[in-house]
Parts: sequence; structure tokens; C-alpha cells
Amino acid sequence: MSALPVVYAIARADFLERVRRYSYLVTLLFAVYLGYAAGTGRISLRLGDYRGLYTSAWIGAMVSLVTTTFVSLVGFYIVKNAIDRDRQTRVGEILAGTPLTKVSYLLGKFLSNFAVLVSMVAVLALAAVAMQLLAAEDRTFHARGLLLPFLVLTLPAMAITAAMALLFETFRFLRGGFGNVLWFFLWAFSIGLPGLTGLPQLDPSGLWIVYQSMVPAARAGIPGYVDSFSLTIADKSVRVATGFHWNGVDWTPEVVASRLAWTAVAFALVLCGAWFFDRFDPARSRRKSGAKPRSEGVATQAGVAPELPTVRAPIATSIHLTPLASGAGHSGSSRLLAAELRLALKGYRWWWYAVAGGLLIAQFAAPLDISRGPLLAVAWLWPILVWSALGTRETRFGTEQLLFSCARILPRQFPAAWIAGILVAALTGLGAAVRLALAGQSAGLWAWAAGALFIPSLALALGVWSGTSKFFEGLYTALWYVGPLNRVPGLDFTGSASGPQAVRYALLYLAVAAILVGAAFFRRARQLRGT
Amino acid sequence: MKLEIDNVSKTYRGNVAALRSFRLELGPGVLGLLGPNGAGKSTLMRILATITQPSAGRVLWNGTDIKHDPDALRTVLGYLPQDFGIYPNLSAVEFLEYLAAVKGLGAASARKRIGELLEVVNLADAARRPLGGFSGGMRQRVGIAQALLNDPQLLIVDEPTAGLDPEERVRFRNLLSELAGERIVILSTHIVSDVEAVATDIALIAQGQLVVHGVPEALLAGVNGKVWEVVVPSGELPALRQEHLVSSTAHRNDGVHARVVAGVAPRPDARALEPSLEDAYLATLAAHRHRAAAEAAV
Repeated sequence: MSALPVVYAIARADFLERVRRYSYLVTLLFAVYLGYAAGTGRISLRLGDYRGLYTSAWIGAMVSLVTTTFVSLVGFYIVKNAIDRDRQTRVGEILAGTPLTKVSYLLGKFLSNFAVLVSMVAVLALAAVAMQLLAAEDRTFHARGLLLPFLVLTLPAMAITAAMALLFETFRFLRGGFGNVLWFFLWAFSIGLPGLTGLPQLDPSGLWIVYQSMVPAARAGIPGYVDSFSLTIADKSVRVATGFHWNGVDWTPEVVASRLAWTAVAFALVLCGAWFFDRFDPARSRRKSGAKPRSEGVATQAGVAPELPTVRAPIATSIHLTPLASGAGHSGSSRLLAAELRLALKGYRWWWYAVAGGLLIAQFAAPLDISRGPLLAVAWLWPILVWSALGTRETRFGTEQLLFSCARILPRQFPAAWIAGILVAALTGLGAAVRLALAGQSAGLWAWAAGALFIPSLALALGVWSGTSKFFEGLYTALWYVGPLNRVPGLDFTGSASGPQAVRYALLYLAVAAILVGAAFFRRARQLRGT
Repeated sequence: MKLEIDNVSKTYRGNVAALRSFRLELGPGVLGLLGPNGAGKSTLMRILATITQPSAGRVLWNGTDIKHDPDALRTVLGYLPQDFGIYPNLSAVEFLEYLAAVKGLGAASARKRIGELLEVVNLADAARRPLGGFSGGMRQRVGIAQALLNDPQLLIVDEPTAGLDPEERVRFRNLLSELAGERIVILSTHIVSDVEAVATDIALIAQGQLVVHGVPEALLAGVNGKVWEVVVPSGELPALRQEHLVSSTAHRNDGVHARVVAGVAPRPDARALEPSLEDAYLATLAAHRHRAAAEAAV
């Protein structure tokens, strides 16, 4: 039997399953928002203090770069569930019992990933057309100039993203939160790779191709221009460079070939993934998976460790259960908090605790600026997977029905889980807090406390509303990168970059935390009320 | 102690009716809730467990509407869903300790109760091992244990013996029988023998409607003198199935021994048999379908 119909069937089924979910609509809305942000100048391509006139070539290049940059980051998180869904639904085990090859399966999933990303690209390409018509800075519409950047630059980048998402899913250690965090850094690294290495070929996003085409024209047309080229989230309107004329990228055979090469790399990544893919064989996954069994609890989950021998004893003839004392069912919340904390911290390897401990000790030992700056930043990235489980653990492990049928979940279990998250932040960042207290820096301490409250609140809200940990893992890593790591005041939730504005920002973060917890509470209350 | 299901209906999106004007009143004892797949059993269980709200009607626990005060029921509820998950990194003891804390049990009584429950469900030797390595049957037994943590007055178990081996099924049936005393137990299943073994009451549900509710004897009385054994060549079995309700068959040297439910002897050489609950269940279900088809035709 030819492999092509099989690949098509896998891709079609996966794509249909995705696009019929509510989350796909949210995905398209994100694309619409990106288009809106580009169209209204919130995200803009800048050459120093200037931008080009909104010609077809400029808009095509700008929106395609916005698409390439942002959709390759966010799109990864959106499509990184193709294999996981088959694990969760146990369709994978059915497929594993057929003659389906690993390559065919992964190619089908890759095409589905790619199709989802292309649908987002299509929305943005339409937005680009609308942008030129509405802005009306240049009424000459060149379809080729506007759409070729999407075709030549964006699509190969989407292919790479689709393939990377699939590749991550084939490695057990990259399937979960660690992979989600790693992708952010990999993405950031890949954007700057040609600049870092001086090798323009190492440019999966195609950003460098536009740079190399645009900068010489800018040098010639913009007085005082010094090679600045950036995609920015602009806080003020950018001036139009009137003397700057750019007719678009010259799509030479070399340029097209380099993009085709990246498409080939995407296919190579899929084949590489096929090499490592466990084909839903639990024996090839070394550690246990927590996904819930779907069919009446009969079989073990793919990825679960080999079963223990069943424990047997003679059938009991008499059963003794001590009646509970009166008043049972009304015990204090401290045990529940301890239980939530244990649940949050259970399952990590020894080295995870060792690193957390090392960071804590370092906060005590290092100079104050280092302690509350980079050390606290790293200490508050390390437990990201602990926080990302907040609000999603019940969905992920299928324990909603067990928990939601218990009394007083909202006033007891919900706050216990949240406080456990705060305690994790407080414990991992304790060194910096003590140092700030000893130094009498009350403003810094305020900022620290606001950060410790903000992180679990963000995790809880995103978790309860989305039902998945990916949103928090992606967003928090990005926020951490921009704020604490690059020390952008206002976005640095640890407060170390806030300077004299520390208390103001701390109050802002406290307010945001309160809103987030309120939103999570509201959503959980609705979940508990049933449908 | 009284549970009233008062005219409860549940309609899902797409106008799919899972329950239609369902009425039932329960006191202490074991109710076996029987019905074919898709009959609405799990929907009813989820409504009773306060997980889902009915589209119409109400459920009263000792006179309190659980829609308005779900905690009135939740504090005394033990619930084993049909599909449930576990936290794979916790051991059985840790998982039960966690749920005991969620249910608000005191530390000392929880510890004692968990120890006893792990003995009862035959998991004492595996109590400290991570749940991620448990087999499906072992997980199911952890589920049974958690449902009994708070000594519930209302115990709802949805397909509890799914995944259990015959020995564990017998153990679970014994457990349910012993627990029945002064509490309401609702056992939802499509395995008639489980109900036969423990139920003091039976409710049969089909197409979201209550078909019959009563003691097992009453259900059996409906097919008294209507169960027969006939021996036919295997080639004649399809024709027999076309004409009559065949509840079971067994191939023997002299042909196929078919168990037939019919008002009169299906063949002159038919031998009358003692009816079983399975015969009664299948006959009642067939009659209900016949009635429903006739009503639809009108």
C-alpha cells in the first residue's frame, strides 16, 4: 500500500480534530490580533527611528516577519500536542497495532501541524492586504510583492516550527514543561543566530534576508542611518522615511534555495523524530506517565512503567472499618496545605532539589545586588513546572470528578493550592528576602513579596482558564526573559530593575495578582457548579 | 436518610437528551442501576455526585436541593466515577492522605481509615509504591478506597468492577454487601451478575428513562414461567434469534442449547427453566424497546 494515502489520512483526521475544537478559534483570534497589532502600528518594523512607506513590498515584508517571529514562538505551543492527544485519547495504541510506519505517522502529524500554522499565516496575509488598502499610503497593489514574503520566508519557518514541535514530542524529556521552556530560549537564540555566528545561512526565520535587502536601501535613503533594524512593540508612532525607497527582497535563486533548504531541514527533523519515536510503546518510556486511563481503567497508559505484580490475598470473609469520629470532615486547612505542598513538590529528581537549594544558599552568600537580581531571577524560573501545574493538575491527571465531588473545594482546596504556590516562591527566593530585610530595603521587600504572590496567581489563573500548563510555561518564560533577565522596569516582577519605582510597581503587581486570583476563583466556581 | 430524584432531565448540546423526567426515591440499601450502554447511567451518577447539574428537575438529599446546597451532600458522599485519574508520583497512601485532607478528615482518623481501607481493597503491600506503576485493576481499587474515606452515607459507584479480575470482583461485591447497612449505595453497571449478587433494589434505565424500579424478586416474577431451554442445530440458531429473545447459548454435542425468553414454549420439546436476573433484564429491556418503537410509529 502506498504511504501517501496513509499520510494524508493521518494529517486530515488530526487537522479536523483540531479545527473542530474551541481552542482553534482562539488560535485564529490570536492571528487576527497580530494582524491588528501590525496594522495599527503596535508592532512595527523599524529602521532606527523610521519606517518605510506602506507599500505592498514593505507591508508584505513587515507582516510576514511579524508572522514568522510571533507565530513560530506561539504556534509551537499551539501545535505541540499532536502525539500527546493520541496518547491521551489512547488512539495511539490502536494505531500502534496497525501496519502504520513511524515515518508515515509523523509525516501526517507534521502536515497537520503545518496546516494549522498555515491557516494562521493565511489570516495574517489577508490582514496585510487589508492593511495596505486601509492605510492607503500607496494605492498601487502588487500581489507578488506583498504575498511572496509569506510564501518564501514564512512558510519554511512554519515548517521548521511544525517539525520542532513534533520532534519535542518524540523525546520524553521534551514532551512536558521543560520542552516548553526550552523552546522559548531556542526560539530567541535562532532569531539572533545569523548575527551571532556571522553566517547568514543559519537563518530559519528569514529575518536576515530582509535585513540584508533593506539595510543598504536604508543607508542610501535615510540620513544618519546606522544599520538599526528591529521589530518592535512600539509605544509611539514611527516617522515615515520619505527618502527611503525599497522595492522588496530580490528573490534570487540563492534566496529561494536557502528557504527550500530550511523546508528540507524540517522534513529531516521529522525523520529524526521518527527514529526516536516510541510508537506508543510503554516499555520504551523509562518513567511513568500520569495521564488518566480513558477506558474504564482497564489498561495502563502509554508511557507508564511496567505494571507491578498484582498483589493477592485470600478473599476477605469479614470487613472491618472503624466508623469515623463525629466531626470528621471539618478538620483544619493546615493539613490540606501540607498535602498540596507535597503534591506540588513530589516527583522531582534529587538534582532538582539540589539546584533549588544551591540557588537559595547562593542568595544568602552573594552580594545583595546579585542576590536579588540574577540569582532571584533564576531561583524563580527553576520551579516553573511546579507553578504551571497549578489549576491544571486536575485536568491533566483526570482527578476532577474525585475532587469536585468533595465538599468545600472552593474555600479550602483552591486557596490551599494557591498558597502552596506562594510558599514555593517564598522558599526558593527566601535568601533574597532575608538579605533585603537585613539591609532595611523595605521597598525591595515589597517588590519581592509582590513577585512571590504574582507568579502563582498568574499560573493559577492561566491554568484554571486554559486547562493546560503550556500557556503559563510559554508566557512566564517570555515575561521572565524580558523582565528579570533583561531588567526591563515594570516587567521585572522581582522588582530588582524597578529602582525608585519599586513600591509603585509592587502595588501594581499585587493588584494584578488579586485580579488573576479572582478570575481563577470565578472560573473554578463555575466548574464546580457543573454545566 | 432519603435521596429523591424528582423529575430530572438532562439535555446536552445538540439537543441530545441523556435523561428524561427521571424519578426515583431511595432509602438505605443497595440500588443496582442497570441499563445498556448510553442509557444515561453515568449522566445520572454525575448529577447525583454534584458534578453535573440537571437541565430540569431537582435532586433532594434529606429534603435539601443539592443544586442550591451541594455541600450538604458532598460531605457525606463517596463517589467512584467510571473514568478517573490518579497522581502518578504519589503512593497509594499519599494519594489517599491527600484526598482525606481535601475531604476534611482529621489526621489521626484519616491515617487509621486509610490503613484499614488498603487492607480491605487488598493493597496494603503496595501502599508505598508510586501509583504510576499500578495496573488498571489496582488503580480501580485505589478508587474504591477513596470513595470510602469519609464513611459516606451515600456511596455512588459507577462501573466499579470494570478492570477487576474475578477474584477482586467477588471481594468488591462482599465489601458492598457489608457496607450496605445504614447507607444508600448506588451501583451503576451493565454487569447483571454484580447487581444480582448485592442489590436490594433494582432500577432499570433505558434511553434516559426509568423503565422499572423494584426488588429483584418483582423483576424476576415478570418472567416466571417464560424462560425455556431449546436444543437446535447451530444452523437454526439465527432463525430462533429472529423469532425469540435468546438470552444465552452454549454449544454442546447434541446442538446449541439456547436459553429463550418467551410467553409460550417456543418449541414442543422446550424445557422450562428457572429465570435469572439476566433473563428478566433482557426481557424488560426488549419490551421497553418494543413499546418505544410502537409509540414512535404512532
